[in-house]
Amino acid sequence: MTAYEKLQAGASVRQETLYHPVEGSYTTKVATKNVTVHYGDKSALNGVSIEIPACTVTSFIGPSGCGKSTFLRSINRMNDTIDNARVSGSILIDGEEVNDRNVDPVVLRARVGMVFQKPNPFPKTIYENVAYGPRIHGLAADKDQLDAIVETSLRKAGLWDEVADRLDQPGTSLSGGQQQRLVIARAIAVNPEVILMDEPCSALDPIATARIEELIDELRENYTLIIVTHSMAQAARVSQMTAFFHLGSLVEYGPTEEIFTNPRDQRTQDYITGRFG
Amino acid sequence: MQISVYVALALLVLTAIGYLVGRRQAFVAAAGRPSELHSLPSYYGYYLALWTGVPALILLALYGLTGTSLVNTLAMGELEREAAPLIRAYDTQLAQDPDLSRLNDAIAQLEADAQVARSELDKARRDGGEVAAYQRSLGDLTVELNRLQGEISQVQDRIAASIAVRAPDNLAGDRARAGFEYWRATPDRRDLFLTDARALAFGEGFASRNSSALIAAGDAMRPWDEMFRWSSAGLAMAMALGGLTWMRRQITVTFRARNRLEGVVSFALFAMSGIAILTTLGIVLSLLFESIRFFAAIDWRIHEFLFGLQWSPQIAIRADQVGQTGAFGAVPLFAGTALITLVAMCVAVPVGLFAAIYLSEYASSRFRAIAKPVLEILAGVPTVVYGFFALLTVGPFIRDAAVLLGYEDAVTQSALSAGLVMGIMIIPFVSSLSDDVINAVPQSLRDGAYAMGATKSEAVRHVVLPAALPGIVGAILLAVSRAIGETMIVVMAAGQGANLTANPLESVTTITVQIVMLITGDQEFESAKTLSAFALALVLFALTLFLNIAALRVVERFRERYE
Ligand SMILES: Nc1ncnc2c1ncn2[C@@H]1O[C@H](COP(=O)(O)OP(=O)(O)OP(=O)(O)O)[C@@H](O)[C@H]1O
Ligand SMILES: [Mg+2]
Repeated sequence: MTAYEKLQAGASVRQETLYHPVEGSYTTKVATKNVTVHYGDKSALNGVSIEIPACTVTSFIGPSGCGKSTFLRSINRMNDTIDNARVSGSILIDGEEVNDRNVDPVVLRARVGMVFQKPNPFPKTIYENVAYGPRIHGLAADKDQLDAIVETSLRKAGLWDEVADRLDQPGTSLSGGQQQRLVIARAIAVNPEVILMDEPCSALDPIATARIEELIDELRENYTLIIVTHSMAQAARVSQMTAFFHLGSLVEYGPTEEIFTNPRDQRTQDYITGRFG
Repeated sequence: MQISVYVALALLVLTAIGYLVGRRQAFVAAAGRPSELHSLPSYYGYYLALWTGVPALILLALYGLTGTSLVNTLAMGELEREAAPLIRAYDTQLAQDPDLSRLNDAIAQLEADAQVARSELDKARRDGGEVAAYQRSLGDLTVELNRLQGEISQVQDRIAASIAVRAPDNLAGDRARAGFEYWRATPDRRDLFLTDARALAFGEGFASRNSSALIAAGDAMRPWDEMFRWSSAGLAMAMALGGLTWMRRQITVTFRARNRLEGVVSFALFAMSGIAILTTLGIVLSLLFESIRFFAAIDWRIHEFLFGLQWSPQIAIRADQVGQTGAFGAVPLFAGTALITLVAMCVAVPVGLFAAIYLSEYASSRFRAIAKPVLEILAGVPTVVYGFFALLTVGPFIRDAAVLLGYEDAVTQSALSAGLVMGIMIIPFVSSLSDDVINAVPQSLRDGAYAMGATKSEAVRHVVLPAALPGIVGAILLAVSRAIGETMIVVMAAGQGANLTANPLESVTTITVQIVMLITGDQEFESAKTLSAFALALVLFALTLFLNIAALRVVERFRERYE
C-alpha cells in the first residue's frame, strides 16, 4: 500500500466510525475551549468554546471584524505566520491538542485544508497547483499515482471537465469561479479531514457561487467543512450548524434551522433579520 | 547689466501687483459675492500675475541670451565697412607680392607630390609591399607643407602691418584698423578680439591685451549696447503693463481662471519633462555624430572596431603624424567588461538575493528595521572609496593568495579584485530591488502555500520565488547594466592592459576605463584615438539602454500580473 492509499483507506475507516446515522447525531471533530487570540495588545477573540461535528458543514456568521477569520485561522494554526498574533486556550481535533508543542503545524495543515476569500492559485500550471500538496507531503509514489490524485481531486471539485485538456496552462488563466474550484481541488488533493473556507464565494458571481455551494454539499460526505460567510441565505442553504460571532465572542451556536427560525439571543435575531446597527 | 537687474526687480514687483489687481478685480466683478465667481479669487490673481510677469521675463531672457552677439555683430559690421579702403589695399598688395606667388606655387607643387605619394602608398598597401619608405616621404612632404604655410602667414602679417599704419592717427583711423584686424582674423581669433574689446569697454573680465584698435571697437559697441538695453527694458515694461491691463479687462464672473491656470501648469510641467528628454536626445545625438566621425577616420571599417581582437590606440602627438591610426579592435574591452561584470554578478546576485529573501520572509520586523537602512548605506558609499578598497586591500590579498597557491604571475590589478569589489557595491542594489518585488508577491499566495502544509523555505522556493522571478530577473538586468557602466572601481583596480583573456587573475580593461584614458589629459581632439572614445561610449550606451529596456519590460509584466 502506498502512503496515499493508506491515507485514503484511513479516511474512509475514520468516517465510518465517526458517523452515527442511527441516532442521527454526529461525532465531534473539532472542539475548542476558551480560545483567545490577541494581535499585539489588542484582543480579537475572547474565550470561544465550540464543538463542531464531523462530516457536516458548519457556518460562521457575524458582523465584520468580529473575529470569524481569526478563529478559523487558529484551527489550522495559520495565526503562527502572523508575527504579533498570540493564541491561547485549547483546540482539539479528534481529541488531539492542536497547540501542543509536539504537533507539527506543517502536518496539521495537511490534515486541515484551507480555502481563502480570494482564489490564490500558485504561479504554476493547473496540474502543478493540484499536485503541489501531494508532492511536498510525498503522497504519490510515481507519476501515474500523481496523475490519479490530480484527476480525482479535480473531479471532486467539479473542475475536471473544464480543464482536462489544458492542465499545462497556468492556474491564473482560469476564471475567478474556476480558480476557486481549483484551490478547493488543491486543498482536497492531500485528503484533509477538515476544510476551512473563509468567505469562499465573496469574489464570485451567482452562478459560480451556486456551483461552489453544490460542491460544498457534495464534499460534506467525506470532509468536515467550516465556512465563514456574510450571506445569511448561503449559511441557511449549505450548513447544518451555524455559529454567530459578535465582538470576538461566540454568541450563539446550534443547528442552522434553529438559529434562523428561532434564535435565542437578541443580537442573533437582529443580525439575521438585518437590523444590526 | 545693471539696467536689466532693475528691470527684472521691477517686473517682479509688477507681477506681485498683478496678483493683487487680479484678485481685487475678481471681487469687483463678482460685486462682493465671491461665491458667484467661476474660480476662487486667488486664481484670478495668479492668472493675471502670470500675464504680467512671464512674457516680459521671457523677453528679458531672450535679450540676455542673444543681446551680446547681436551687439557684437552690429558694431563690427559698422567697423568693417569703415575698414573697406584698407581691405581693398590689402587685397591688391597680396595679389602683387612676388614672395607670395612664389610660395603659393611651391605649395601647389608639394601638394601634387603628396597626392602621388599617397596613391603609391595605397597601392603598396593593397599589394602587400613595403610601405615604410612611402610613409616616411609622405611625412617629410607634410612637414615641408606646414613650413611653407607658416611662411605665407608671416608674409601676410607683414603686408597687413604695413597697410594698417596708412590709416590716420585719429579715432576714425583706429576704428578702421579695428575693422581691418577683425576682418583678417580666424574665427577663434575673432572671439578673442571681441572678448578683449568688451573687457576694455564694459569691464567684463580682464583683457588679454590693450590697443587703440580694441578700445575703438569697444567704443563702437557701447551705443548699440545702450540702445538694446534700454529698448529691451522699455519693451519688457510695456509688455508687463500691457498684459496687466488687457487681462484685467477680461476678468468677469464667468472667466475660467482655474481651468486656464491648469493649462499653464500642465504646459510648464510638459516643458520641464521636454527639457529632460531633449537633453538626453542631445547627448545621444552628439555621441552618434562623433562616432560617425570616428568611423570615417578609420575608413568605415566598423566591423574591425566591433570584432577586431587588438586594441592599441596610439598616442597622436600631432594631427598629421604618420601612422597615427592605431588598432581599434574593441573585443578585448568587451571581453574585459564581460569578465568583470560576470565576477561582480557572481558576488552580488546570490548575496543580494538571499539577503532580500531573509529580510522579507524570515527576519523579524525589528531586525528588518535596522538591517535595511544599513544595507542601503552600502549603496551610498562613493565608488572611489570602493576603488581604493579594491586597489589597496582586495587586490594585494588576491595576488598573495594566488602566489601562495602556486600561480606565480598574479598581479595586484586583476579582473577578480575589481569584480569582487564591484559585486559588493552592487549588493544593496540587487537586494533592495529584489526585496521590493518579493514584497509585491501577494500575501495570499504565501498563505496558500502555508495552508497546504508547506514550510517557510518550501513556500519561498515553490511559490514566492517563482512568482517574483520576472521581477528578480529585471533587478539582475538592471544590476548588470550598472556593473557595465561602473567606472571608478575598474579604473583603479582592474589595470589598463587590453588583454583578451578569460583568466580573472590577469589585469583587463573595460569600455569605461578606456573612455577615461582616451579622453582625459592633453589630446589632439580630432584624432581617431580621441574620437574612438565616443564610439565606445555609443556602444556602452546602446548596451545599457538595451538592458534597461529589457529589465523594465520584465518588471512591467510582473507588475501587471499582480495588479
Ligand atoms: N494581522 C492582524 N493584525 C492585527 N489585528 C488584526 C489582524 N487580523 C485581524 N485583526 C483584527 O482582529 C479583529 C478580528 O478580525 P477578523 O479578520 O478575524 O474579522 P472577521 O470577522 O473575519 O471580519 P470580516 O468579516 O470583515 O472578514 C479585527 O478587529 C481586526 O482588526
Ligand atoms: Mg474575515
